[in-house]
Amino acid sequence: MKITVGLFFGGRSVEHEVSVISALQALKSFDKEKYDVLPIYITREQQFFTGEAVGKIEEYRDIPALLKKATRVQPLREGDRVLVLPYGRFGLKSKALAALDVAFPVVHGTNVEDGALQGYFRTLGIPFAGSDVAGSAIGMDKYAQKLLYAAAGLPVLPALRFRAGEEREEMARRMEEKLGFPLIVKPLDLGSSVGIRLVKSPEELPEALDEAFSFSDRILAEKAVQPLRELNCAVLGDADEAIASECEEPVMGDEILSYRDKYEGGGKGAKTGGSKGMSGLKRLLPAPISREMREEVQELALRAFRALDLSGVARIDFLMNAETGKLYVNEVNTCPGSLAFYLWESTGVSYAKLLDKMVSLALKRERRRGSFLSAIDTGILKNYAPGGVKGTKG
Amino acid sequence: MRIAALAVMTVCYLACAFFLFRKHVHIFQLNSYKPEVQKGWIKENIESLLLRSVWALAAVFPARELGDWGCFPAGVLFLVVLFLNLPKKAKKPLVVTARVKRLGATYFILCLIPVLFALFAPEGEAFGALLMSFALVGTPWLILGANSLNRPVEKGIDRHYINDAKRILSRYPELKIIGVTGSYGKTSVKFFLEKLLSVEYNVLVTPKNYNTTLGVVRTVRENLRPTHEVFVCEMGARNVGDIKEICDLVHPQWGVITAIGPQHLESFRSIANVVKTKFELADALPPDGVFFGNMDSEEIRNRKVSVQTVGYGTLRGDYRAEDIRCDEHGLRFTLRGVEFETKLLGRHNVQNLVGALAVANTLGIPLEKLKAPVRQLQSVEHRQQLRGSGDRLIIDDAYNSNPAGALAALETLGLFEGCKILVTPGMVELGEKQTELNTELGRQAAKVCDYAVLVGKKQSVPLRAGLTEAGFPAEKITVADTVEAAIRAADGFDTGGRRRVILLENDLPDNY
Repeated sequence: MKITVGLFFGGRSVEHEVSVISALQALKSFDKEKYDVLPIYITREQQFFTGEAVGKIEEYRDIPALLKKATRVQPLREGDRVLVLPYGRFGLKSKALAALDVAFPVVHGTNVEDGALQGYFRTLGIPFAGSDVAGSAIGMDKYAQKLLYAAAGLPVLPALRFRAGEEREEMARRMEEKLGFPLIVKPLDLGSSVGIRLVKSPEELPEALDEAFSFSDRILAEKAVQPLRELNCAVLGDADEAIASECEEPVMGDEILSYRDKYEGGGKGAKTGGSKGMSGLKRLLPAPISREMREEVQELALRAFRALDLSGVARIDFLMNAETGKLYVNEVNTCPGSLAFYLWESTGVSYAKLLDKMVSLALKRERRRGSFLSAIDTGILKNYAPGGVKGTKG
Repeated sequence: MRIAALAVMTVCYLACAFFLFRKHVHIFQLNSYKPEVQKGWIKENIESLLLRSVWALAAVFPARELGDWGCFPAGVLFLVVLFLNLPKKAKKPLVVTARVKRLGATYFILCLIPVLFALFAPEGEAFGALLMSFALVGTPWLILGANSLNRPVEKGIDRHYINDAKRILSRYPELKIIGVTGSYGKTSVKFFLEKLLSVEYNVLVTPKNYNTTLGVVRTVRENLRPTHEVFVCEMGARNVGDIKEICDLVHPQWGVITAIGPQHLESFRSIANVVKTKFELADALPPDGVFFGNMDSEEIRNRKVSVQTVGYGTLRGDYRAEDIRCDEHGLRFTLRGVEFETKLLGRHNVQNLVGALAVANTLGIPLEKLKAPVRQLQSVEHRQQLRGSGDRLIIDDAYNSNPAGALAALETLGLFEGCKILVTPGMVELGEKQTELNTELGRQAAKVCDYAVLVGKKQSVPLRAGLTEAGFPAEKITVADTVEAAIRAADGFDTGGRRRVILLENDLPDNY
């Protein structure tokens, strides 16, 4: 009997389209002998669709047309399974299209990668691949994860956090005092380098702040590393055991890697690199670094992964001072573009094997969770008398 | 007038039949729908049964003699019988399954026969009333008759489900199937295996006490998922051939026999039969299968098995527990140099744990990785389960006692500081040896307990004899009618300021 995997992608996120690319790459690579994969597309309007067309990348050139061909569905927990029920003209039908054994989210960005979708799966009660709710949420918070890295003794750049309502002048003053220029300004809780700006002098600050605040209520100001090299390394596993991948060095177009670089270009003005996602970006793989440097990056990556209690595959991004060689943990991607499959191939982990391991980890987490007591019958409700002063926690 | 009276009588009759049916089908369910056992129960309780139903027979008199409205008093008589048979609060209440409904349907059809007579036969009221009263008094036997009539249908339904389960299992060629059987310890070993194997694998186990063929069928049809990698199937038996039947369904590759004891001797008739039946599991294993046997048991040790054997236990075996220590906080032992600790109580649980560890280790999980799950193990419900706190502790060993388990529970009780109170109705289903084994239990209890509360006047005679024989003071022995009353009594004894520790040993269901 094959395991039925619900592959969820899309969502109401800035990185919606990237997620479609990543997911359909994954769809092709599952071991079809072992898994029955059902692609479930989450539209920007937060509706779920499935069907044969949903699994074909070409169909996404015209999404409204695609949705007409596809079947709108709703996951529903029934007994101890999660059924995928089709939505007909008169509401939910009773005959399910499939019963899912495990959910596999391939999603990027806010509303999906930040624990929201993971929380939904927890509530539905279905095992899911990737990091759990807490890990996913912290993974999307650039400031909070820094605190955890620092507590774990990992090298991080000093940073300040600001909210949209605060006084701009005060912000500028504190940045100058604590960080100094040049510095980086970026939204706190988005991914894929959206809204990120290098600020070389105080004059450039207002425009950079405007851009960052146009994407989010909360921003991060961080000391810039110059001259800068970036290094990425992926980790696969969980808190019990994990392995690190090969290292890559993403190559920048602008002074810092921007969204445009990652997804819209393989080079100047070229459009073709874009649809391959992260795997189409110009990259140096393996990164041209010494063996010691690579080992150091891998060790830091494993420690960062563990510090946030992550699971599945995550990509940890590092900043390196090109002159001194000092490494800093920049941030983590709990659901990296293309699931970082290209970082694993040289270590002998094929895409199919990567996906298989992630499903295994999801099932392992579910069984561990199932073995703990989650409810104790205290009889509070039986003895409850409204109007008590103390409340129920006593 | 006549019609009205007739209608009233019929309604009273049907209502009464409903309650009588409910009462007797409940007992039938508790007796696992076994006609022989049911007949035995009827024989045992015939006086109380008749006392509650024979009044219906008087209905024929008013129906015949009192003319037009004669059926009214007849109906009243039926109502009286109804009230004598109202359902009482039960430990194991009636579960209205599809089978119960099918029996009810057949019974109801049989009950309609007197009604037809009353309606259509000339001067039928009297004869109808007579037949109705026969039906009511004869309900116990009518139910057995309905059961026979339903047999072909039940067999067909069972067959359908069994074939469905076989079909489902054939779609899981990779699934590792481990059978667990034994006179006792099998449910514990099954639950331990679930926890230990879950370190590495997705495990399905037969839930609760689903250890019959139909229980296994239900587990396969309802709970088996494509994500499962191991299926631990508990196999219970009351008769020769029961284990073979389950093995023919699941085809286990590995098998565990936990113990041989005098369980269900009434149906097995001899220990030799018990051994023969349990070893149906070993016989069903494929040539490359593995058999795990508790080598502390002589019968298991001496029996030859054709597949690869892994022995376990505390005295000898490939997996032998050493340095065993038991106290009121749990157990500790060393296995192949690895130290294990657990909150579980009861020396016999060391055997159960070693058995589960042997299987998990043979399946590739290193013993070091099993230390944490063993420490996290919770007691299995009602199997030397420690409950309560502070000054009042209860060792709940309520489920299906066996002599070895009962003695182990007494040993555990002895480990606790405080006022030790035994609450027990004694052990059942031990056939001829029942009296002897209960007397021995009484003798052993005398060494450990400060007080003894025996449940059931008839049941507890051999226990009292054993206690007295060993010099236990008579004033410290109390007899109660129910377990609830016994616990109340136990709570009332003067402990002299010490902690109260109550051992609840075996709690019998309502058909005893």
